[in-house]
Amino acid sequence: MPDVFAVPVFVIVFREAIETVIIVSVLLAFLKQTLAGPGRDDRVYKKLIKQVWMGVGLGLLICFIVAGGLIGTFYTVGHDAWQSSEYNYEGAFALVAVAIITPLGVGLLRIGKMQDKWRVKLAKSLEAPISTTGSKAGWLKRFAEKYAMFFLPFITVIREGVEAIVFIAGVTFSAPATAVPLPVVVGLAAGILVGYLLYKGGVTAKLQYFLVAATCLLYLVAAGLFSRAIWYLEQQKWNNIIGGDAAELGVGAGSYDISKSVWHVDCCSPEFNGGGGWAVFNAILGWTNSATYGSVIAYNVYWIFVMAMFVTLRYKETKGHWPLMKAKKGHVDSIDQASVEPKVS
Amino acid sequence: MAFKKSLLVASAAWLSAFSTLAEAATVTYDFDVAWVTANPDGAFDRPTIGINGQWPIPQITCNVGDRVVIHVTNSLGNQSTSLHFHGLFQNGTTHMDGPPQVSQCDIPPGHKLTYDFIIDQPGTYWYHSHTRGQYPDGLRGPLIVHDPKAPFEGQYDEELVLSVSDWYHEQIHNLLPAFISKGNPTGAEPVPDNALFNDTQNLKVPVRPGKTYLVRMVNVGAFAGQYVWFEGHNMTIVEVDGVYTQPAEAERIYLTAAQRYSFLLTTKNETGANYAFAGSMDTTLFDAIPDGLNWNVTGWLVYDDTKPLPEPAVLESDDFDAFDDMDLIPFDNQTLLGEPDQVIQFDVIMDNLGDGANYAFFNNITYTAPKVPTLYTALTAGDLANDATVYGEFTNTHVLQKDQIVQIVVNNLDSGRHPFHLHGHQFQTIHRSPADEGTFDDTNTTMTNYPKIPMRRDTVTLEPNGNVVLRFKADNPGKSRSLSSAFNPVLFKGPFADPRIGVWIFHCHLEWHVASGLIATFVESPKQLQETIKLPQDHLDVCAAGHIPVSGNAAGNTVDLLDLNGQNRAPDPLPAGFTARGIVALVFSCVCGILGVAVVTWYGLAPDPGTAGPALQANSSNDSDNGQQGVLAAGGKTAGAPVQTVKTSASVAGR
Repeated sequence: MPDVFAVPVFVIVFREAIETVIIVSVLLAFLKQTLAGPGRDDRVYKKLIKQVWMGVGLGLLICFIVAGGLIGTFYTVGHDAWQSSEYNYEGAFALVAVAIITPLGVGLLRIGKMQDKWRVKLAKSLEAPISTTGSKAGWLKRFAEKYAMFFLPFITVIREGVEAIVFIAGVTFSAPATAVPLPVVVGLAAGILVGYLLYKGGVTAKLQYFLVAATCLLYLVAAGLFSRAIWYLEQQKWNNIIGGDAAELGVGAGSYDISKSVWHVDCCSPEFNGGGGWAVFNAILGWTNSATYGSVIAYNVYWIFVMAMFVTLRYKETKGHWPLMKAKKGHVDSIDQASVEPKVS
Repeated sequence: MAFKKSLLVASAAWLSAFSTLAEAATVTYDFDVAWVTANPDGAFDRPTIGINGQWPIPQITCNVGDRVVIHVTNSLGNQSTSLHFHGLFQNGTTHMDGPPQVSQCDIPPGHKLTYDFIIDQPGTYWYHSHTRGQYPDGLRGPLIVHDPKAPFEGQYDEELVLSVSDWYHEQIHNLLPAFISKGNPTGAEPVPDNALFNDTQNLKVPVRPGKTYLVRMVNVGAFAGQYVWFEGHNMTIVEVDGVYTQPAEAERIYLTAAQRYSFLLTTKNETGANYAFAGSMDTTLFDAIPDGLNWNVTGWLVYDDTKPLPEPAVLESDDFDAFDDMDLIPFDNQTLLGEPDQVIQFDVIMDNLGDGANYAFFNNITYTAPKVPTLYTALTAGDLANDATVYGEFTNTHVLQKDQIVQIVVNNLDSGRHPFHLHGHQFQTIHRSPADEGTFDDTNTTMTNYPKIPMRRDTVTLEPNGNVVLRFKADNPGKSRSLSSAFNPVLFKGPFADPRIGVWIFHCHLEWHVASGLIATFVESPKQLQETIKLPQDHLDVCAAGHIPVSGNAAGNTVDLLDLNGQNRAPDPLPAGFTARGIVALVFSCVCGILGVAVVTWYGLAPDPGTAGPALQANSSNDSDNGQQGVLAAGGKTAGAPVQTVKTSASVAGR
């Protein structure tokens, strides 16, 4: 199964899809609320809806082209050159994947709050053209204003899409190419479903549970990945010692370094012969039949780090400052707001 | 330093007393064992163990019935040493057999030891160091026992001694640690760098036309079996490992490490051309064939040294069918020994132990040398010498009694060929399976259809995943010891020593597998040993010099001989599956994972702090997100609106 379904890819696609569909669904809902209905200008409404879908479609097209080029290049150029020190690369890529996934999880938990935020943004963007009408802005600006309903979803899709591609590329360094397409499709489908439900309204609370579950899964995968990264690096050293690929020795004696072993069972290998069900176990929970001191310590250290990270974040959220640091004077919200907003323009 | 060899005819007094022993002589050698530099393959100068400053080392030559005295001085400086005389019965002189920690102590650098024994058997033998892994460094050479009564006597004109060997460029004490280490989990044996004839390459053997030569071939190699053939000439085998055989024609023979063949070779009547002969190492023994390895060695029968030396024809590997030694019939027609009193089965296994290294096992025991040489335990254990326990858990010792007929069944559970050698005996090879026949089944009549006159030798090939069945008598097999030895006061306390009593090891003769533990021990008639063997003082002296105890059980315990605490042990087996630390580690990881998931859930479901409006909260608590979305917003928006506007709009949009 890990050969056809990379869990991190699913989570990434799902996350980016949700970010996009939230925007699109809010847009559509907003347009419907303000323009549709009896006695309204049905023509303008349809035109704007069309703009939204064109933006989504064109954005998706560009994303697919970029993704196809990038991933295609990666897999055709990349894989063969490794061989002799394959595990070093696997280990390094797993570390990259962990570095990408770890902050991603925090963001995933916060997606639920985006819907509200986007209502604000949308209102702003609709209001702004009115307030700036008549100014001597450039043609580009006017063009952008005229087709706001196109550009907003278009750029959102491209932005989230490219982000997804970069993340997927990073994460899939440590997964086979065949494991990418299915989770992409499933992630997109799940994201679109969520978007539809959001559009219909009333799923915000349940969405949060879903996101929490997805995040938990993501960190389980990341902990396993981090553990495996260390395992790969150690296994490469072992391969160098025995002067060959230890995997060729099967799962018995000699396939691992006894001096670094914490446990080893001559079965249940996630590596040998594709790994079967144990490979799923490995991909999701980080199982290995041959644990080393490094891999066990890495697994636990990662979890301790994640726990500390969330406790610290929560501390910051509730106390308004980081642990062990003094609280800032006064309330920070409006200051932060002011300092962030100018960057927008 | 010159090599000294003296033939001392027994004194007149002895002669007058025992006129039948008129020819018996004492052959004395002084061997100063020291490092020299040698380059037999012309490819690499290397430190090599020589004798008296020379390498190749001298051949030991004597006649049947001679007393051989070898004074060994170890001048190596950095290594202990020992000498074993391969194939000799050592009738009543088991303590002269040579293997350290079996029948003597290693001779430490700077020390001397004398080997003194009578050779009562004719044929082609060899001698070599039996110290751990040492002989491939050069300390191995032929030992030829001439016999005026040989059945082929008078049928040949000249004798040629031809050794064949593999050769390593690296010293064994450098190769061994890498061989037995966790870094070599498959137990891949080091592959030789070259093959040699008479310790050289491109050997030219001048021959005369129309003559018959008795060629005595010895494989003195460490590892590689060798196929040997002479282009344009057939061989007539007349002796194998010291056993005369009915003449047998062979086109090509295969000699495992330590095997010997004597054959008659008749030259052409004309001198019009020279003929190549070739040795080809058995590459099936090599786990991998290194790039550039030439596993062949060539020599020439030179009829006319003005004529060219032709290259031998290259054989496809399918052509390597050699003479089957099971077809040989001993010249004495000794018939199949009777039903065995003891059947000992050895299953050959290669496996890894707790240090990660690969070891070789007989029945789950990998030989680990005892603290006290086994012979010395037998001599000092009193009545308990008949109890195999005292020889230690890791020596694979079997106690045999006088006149017992012993059958050894060796099942090869490994996929490699192994040449097995029994010290002090020639065994009847009563069954040998082809490769992959599996284990021996004594109810299977096709396996137990033993020949009436079985082939005898002292080193036999066991095929991959096959089996071999050997039989021998724990006594003199059909020949009586010559009188001479009984009257040697140095060797015997009593006049009626049983010739076969002693401590004899049975082992694979691939030197790598000796080191990795493919050895078993037979203690024959230990009570009689105690009555007849008196250890020479110099044997005890080298033990003292090496701080090796000379009495007690395998652990050196002289009080409670059944208490083996402190014995040398093989490494423990690899841990099977989950040990305590594995369980702790797994449980801790699981707990950590569950706690982690709990923390993520707790954070994810925690309500937003404060009671501010959702829009405001989203902005304030997600600085980074805000920045990202801000960029997006620019697509649909022209300029940053005042903060106040946002807040107002939010309330509007929220409705």
